Amino acid sequence: MPADLAQCVADLSDANPAKRLQAAERLSQLGCAAAPAAVALVRASGDEAEEVREYAVAALEELGPPRIEDLAHLTALLGEQRSDLGYWAATLLGRLGDDAASAVPALANAVVGGHDAAVSQRAAWALGRIGPAAAPAVDALKQAAVTGDPRLAQLAQRAIERIVG
Amino acid sequence: MLRSISARLLALLLFVGCDAAPRLSLEREPVAPPSAPRASSIPVDEGSAAAGTIRIASYNIQVFGTSKIGKPHVMDILADVARRFDIIAIQEIRSIDQTVLPRFVDLINAGGASYAYLIGPRLGRTSSKEQYAFVYNSDRIELGQAPAYTVNDPEDLLHREPIVASFRVRGPSPERAFTFQLANIHTDPDETDTELDALAEVFVAVQRASAEDDVILLGDLNVDEYNLGRLGQLPGIVYAISGTTTNTRRTRMYDNLVFDGRFTAEFTGRAGVLDLIAEYGLTEAQALEVSDHFPVWAEFSALETEVGDLVAERPSAGVR
Repeated sequence: MPADLAQCVADLSDANPAKRLQAAERLSQLGCAAAPAAVALVRASGDEAEEVREYAVAALEELGPPRIEDLAHLTALLGEQRSDLGYWAATLLGRLGDDAASAVPALANAVVGGHDAAVSQRAAWALGRIGPAAAPAVDALKQAAVTGDPRLAQLAQRAIERIVG
Repeated sequence: MLRSISARLLALLLFVGCDAAPRLSLEREPVAPPSAPRASSIPVDEGSAAAGTIRIASYNIQVFGTSKIGKPHVMDILADVARRFDIIAIQEIRSIDQTVLPRFVDLINAGGASYAYLIGPRLGRTSSKEQYAFVYNSDRIELGQAPAYTVNDPEDLLHREPIVASFRVRGPSPERAFTFQLANIHTDPDETDTELDALAEVFVAVQRASAEDDVILLGDLNVDEYNLGRLGQLPGIVYAISGTTTNTRRTRMYDNLVFDGRFTAEFTGRAGVLDLIAEYGLTEAQALEVSDHFPVWAEFSALETEVGDLVAERPSAGVR
């Protein structure tokens, strides 16, 4: 990781909110070059300071797929209590496509495991992005497809179609 | 599939036609006394808006919140940008603090201009919320009679549902003045495929639910002109921005103004991207401090035009 990026990542967990804000803002200006900071940015999406969260989200929106070596960290973040972290972890896993196959069990659990609605929906979306490699999650998706949450039901149905063809 | 789409469309129409008022959550702020707008220090392109025309812009002001408003060098540029246009549709107001936009409009008006604004509700599925706004020169533009509203989205197809507002050009007699509706949108970059399809339904629903035939959907679409999905397949659809980039890194096209060229013959064929790096002599890093997007704009006649000449035939407008 380039030194300036590594410094931004370190600053994102600094006790000083101004330093965290500066780091998040800087990362929001880097586009896909901020990808190595993906895990730190997901954590920052739950920062107590609003502007840090917002700049972290702006960076996450633009950084594209994360690094494959961050897969395990992102998978672990799916279970975070703060729902924004789970939402962004699922989003980044989905962007990895079938490279995120190892995250399928965790994503399936996020779909039906009583997570926040936005996390469950994004997990269903991510499974669709993973495609056929997400076949072990089809049962969970079928369960979600008949849920009372119309968005989750649609995303689950669409994911099933992408997985089974 | 057709049945499903029709059902969703019906839901949208019901809202637009009957239930708009209860969902209306837009605030109308008092408009400052009319005064002459301040001339822009730098023209948008080779000249300011031609006589008898208006310029409508869309601008994603990335994370527009208290941090940005606290940077005078950034805000001066944003205010100058706003003064170049008669209406600017803003995306990405991200702040719990609801004084951000009023403070911005105060800055725009500090030199004697007379801009007013409409702002929508905070929208989003996570704790990160965004607001849309329209900032308009009240010397040249007034709100139309139809109430502004946020599109109802019972199936949650869109992350941040568009706000729709109607406007009329001031000056010409009311029966001759260009009237139009603007739908302001920022799509979810991870779900553009489904959202662009849903926006086709929104566009048609807004078009059909009103006597107003000029509907302009504008904003950060997160796609270029070739990836507009069903929105781009609507009959007569025209996109004002084509063959260029709209992000500050000059690598991607995200932003556009889209309308039905069969009806919106008021489009003069002039449109563009305001490149802040070139216009203000900024470095890319300085421009990124303002936003990761550039504003996009299109010019329209101030007078209502009889439908007949298809904008699709004009060279600078893209047509699907």
